[in-house]
Amino acid sequence: MRREHLLKIGVSGIRGVVGEFLTPALACSFGQAFGSYVGRGRVIVGRDTRATGEMLQHAVQCGLLAAGCEVIDVGVLPTPTIQMYVGATGAHGGIAVTASHNPPEYNALKLFNGHGLFFNHYERTELIDLYHQSDFYQAGNDEIRGIRCDYESPALLHIERVLRHVDAALIRKRRFRVALDGVNGAASVMTPRFLTETLGCRLDAISVDPTKPFPREAEPRPDTLGDLAALVTARGCEIGFAQDPDGDRLAVADENGRVLDNDDVLALAVDAALERLPGDVVVNLTTSSVIDDIAAAHGRKVFRTPVGEANVVEMMQAVNAVIGGEGSNGGIIFPAVHLCRDSFTGMAFLLERMAKTGATVSELAAGLPRYYRKLGKVAFEHGALGTLMQGLEDRFPDAEADRSDGLKLQWPGRWVHVRASNTEPLLRLAAEAREVSAMEDLYGTVTALLLNGQPADRAE
Amino acid sequence: MTKRKTLRLSQVGLRGVVGGGLTATHVLDFVSAFGTLIEPGRPVIIGRDPRASGRMLREGVLAGLLACGHSVLDLGVVPTPVIQHAIRRRDAAGGVSIGASHNAAEWNALKFFGPKGTYLSTAEAGELLDIYHLKKFAFVDWHGIGKLELVEHAVDRYLDDLAAVYDFDSLRRFRVVVDCCNGTSSVILRRMNERFGFEFILINESPEGVAFAHDPLITSRTIALQLAPLMKPLQADAGFLFDVDSDRVGIATELGEPLSEEIMLPLLTDYLLPRGPGKLVITNLSSTALVDELAARHGGKVIRVPVGRQATIDALSGYRHDQIALAGEGTGAVMMPQFEFVYDGIASMLAVLSMMHERNSSLSQILAGYPRYCILKAELPLTSARIPSLLMDLQKEYADGRATTLDGLRVDWPDRWFHVRVSQTEPIVRVICEQRGHPPFALFESLLEKVRSLP
Repeated sequence: MRREHLLKIGVSGIRGVVGEFLTPALACSFGQAFGSYVGRGRVIVGRDTRATGEMLQHAVQCGLLAAGCEVIDVGVLPTPTIQMYVGATGAHGGIAVTASHNPPEYNALKLFNGHGLFFNHYERTELIDLYHQSDFYQAGNDEIRGIRCDYESPALLHIERVLRHVDAALIRKRRFRVALDGVNGAASVMTPRFLTETLGCRLDAISVDPTKPFPREAEPRPDTLGDLAALVTARGCEIGFAQDPDGDRLAVADENGRVLDNDDVLALAVDAALERLPGDVVVNLTTSSVIDDIAAAHGRKVFRTPVGEANVVEMMQAVNAVIGGEGSNGGIIFPAVHLCRDSFTGMAFLLERMAKTGATVSELAAGLPRYYRKLGKVAFEHGALGTLMQGLEDRFPDAEADRSDGLKLQWPGRWVHVRASNTEPLLRLAAEAREVSAMEDLYGTVTALLLNGQPADRAE
Repeated sequence: MTKRKTLRLSQVGLRGVVGGGLTATHVLDFVSAFGTLIEPGRPVIIGRDPRASGRMLREGVLAGLLACGHSVLDLGVVPTPVIQHAIRRRDAAGGVSIGASHNAAEWNALKFFGPKGTYLSTAEAGELLDIYHLKKFAFVDWHGIGKLELVEHAVDRYLDDLAAVYDFDSLRRFRVVVDCCNGTSSVILRRMNERFGFEFILINESPEGVAFAHDPLITSRTIALQLAPLMKPLQADAGFLFDVDSDRVGIATELGEPLSEEIMLPLLTDYLLPRGPGKLVITNLSSTALVDELAARHGGKVIRVPVGRQATIDALSGYRHDQIALAGEGTGAVMMPQFEFVYDGIASMLAVLSMMHERNSSLSQILAGYPRYCILKAELPLTSARIPSLLMDLQKEYADGRATTLDGLRVDWPDRWFHVRVSQTEPIVRVICEQRGHPPFALFESLLEKVRSLP
């Protein structure tokens, strides 16, 4: 049976279809649990542009005020901007009302601690226990504080942080012609100003009206960015950028309108960061080996983590990494700006790279070590996972096996990674190799093995 | 042992001590029930009094209404009658007033209004409670979510209508002192000074969230605290004390006399009954008999209903509005047909000033024309389950009077009456005695003793 995820309350917070499932009362209780957890101080609240965001923000603020917190309402802003502001202002925590790349009927709460970082595993578990126990602080009239609005300074802070790490004057001099697809999201106002006023680009922008619904599927991927590609070629742009609704993810199109593989975008950013600063790299297990090659060229190490931004961030803190990310989802994390996914840092890095090298985006991408990748999904019966994984490991005794998130089997120049989805009874499969035939071989063999012993018609 | 009540869900709405009995969850659920009850398609008006907890309640009210697909017009900190006025003017589907009126600062409440700013009928209020208890709310999907608009000029539009009813040019000359008790009335009165050249002298003027200058109840005791002593030194013509949400008002005379909260209804009966449109005065069983005497002078008739706003509202709906002259309570809350039967302290104050102007008389001169009625009120803790049998005994004992058992027991004689009832809102027994001429101490003491000595 396939379950639809209309509401999910768990260690990643609360996410669901707004209305019947994600109700204002739920959001309010979660806000009050959060306020009780972080204590009676300042809490920053912002949101993306979803139609349900304003309603849920008021519900969350109700809960926070009821717990005795002071609320700073920063309005519609990208998630990284909110996170930086939390960290910079000494707030006790922050909440972003955003379902990131999920469809418009969904919304969710992203929770940040006083440093503006995602709640770690320990914090999330404590909060969810508090929520389930309904063990809320109930402020009396004389303890209830107010709501202040600050719609301007978070964006200024964010841009100023990014500018510390790029040569803006160099970028401005080139007067790049840039295309942007803002998906009518939270960065719709900030990104055009950043690209034109701060970086001196000539901008052709679509979907930058934060009052309108998302015009495309919200996740920025090659198959959702046809409009951006068309815009790039029609206007002769040198580069095209696309963001997701809460402005943390970035996708890039080259001057021919070809959308780059997100692993390659991360690779370019990693190269830029390693040139600038000392330190190692953290990526998840599914990210391309191109990262290892670039790190090796700079004499740096690469640490691999299970999939999930929180995992990457935790490892980055532990090893004091200079850059990190998750290739597949377009996340670039540069802690010198802030320990979070930030599309603005990504845009600045790429433009600076073009300015410094004089190369086009396609030339920059072509300069990366070449790997072939393929991603897929295979459904599985509950209970079959152990057999499948062990069967796979046994079939390839020569591979180096990593069991830290599903199973990753690695050989020199190729790997395959199989992991169970956290939300659906699906195995996610990724294979990579230096040659396309080796990759197809590996992908085909593993898919067949996974389907073997299961009923037919499982592949998607 | 009775525990102090800190939450009450009733037909009047939701009321409680914030953080004690009344939590954010109650607010969300109750307002979601209201959002489910009212018709979609037209906006909902909200406003609040200055209590700090009102900021929290407002967020919850907004979330619940928006989630049910209602667009919201938020008037900010304004008197309740302004909210009701805006509902009519904007042809809204209804409204919510966030404020606990005359209760202490730690309390807060939600009051709900239907189209035209009217109070919910008993049937509607009952349905609201049913929806609340079922917790089946009509939340809409993301396409239908409501929008919030902040409204700035609601007070001016309200004053436009007041200016059309009252002769502001004549009333400006009065020297009036007002104790705002740190509530919402100052929002209106300051604007009347600015825009219409009134010279209201305001004390306890700034809206406060946590500590009011004094108990916000309207009684001769609270009027005597700060307002009454200022009258003579300031050579004022009249003094008024408003409760926090400005639906009730009390009076101090030019001589510095703090009047009983009971006086507003008879005073306005005397003023309004000759103007009509109707001849009926609707009030409850506990308010002064001076109303009956003054109504009789003008050929009017008093309809007595059980205590509580809901009974008054239900009685109102049983008559054509042109049959009624006014309705009100002995608490300082009066509603008039000119203002669509909304409890409105500001309009009541202006009616009193108009009366002084038209009769060319001072307050004490007007009052000198009234017979003296002495009312004694007490509240005793409800510790016995034998109140019903006491009431039956009392009815037998005072069989020479005319008994009414609509709400507890009221017994009337030509020159005095008493009313013994159990409060609907608090665990107390209320005993009220009134007599024409001089205080009915003996009757009052005897009744109190009987309640106290119940096993």
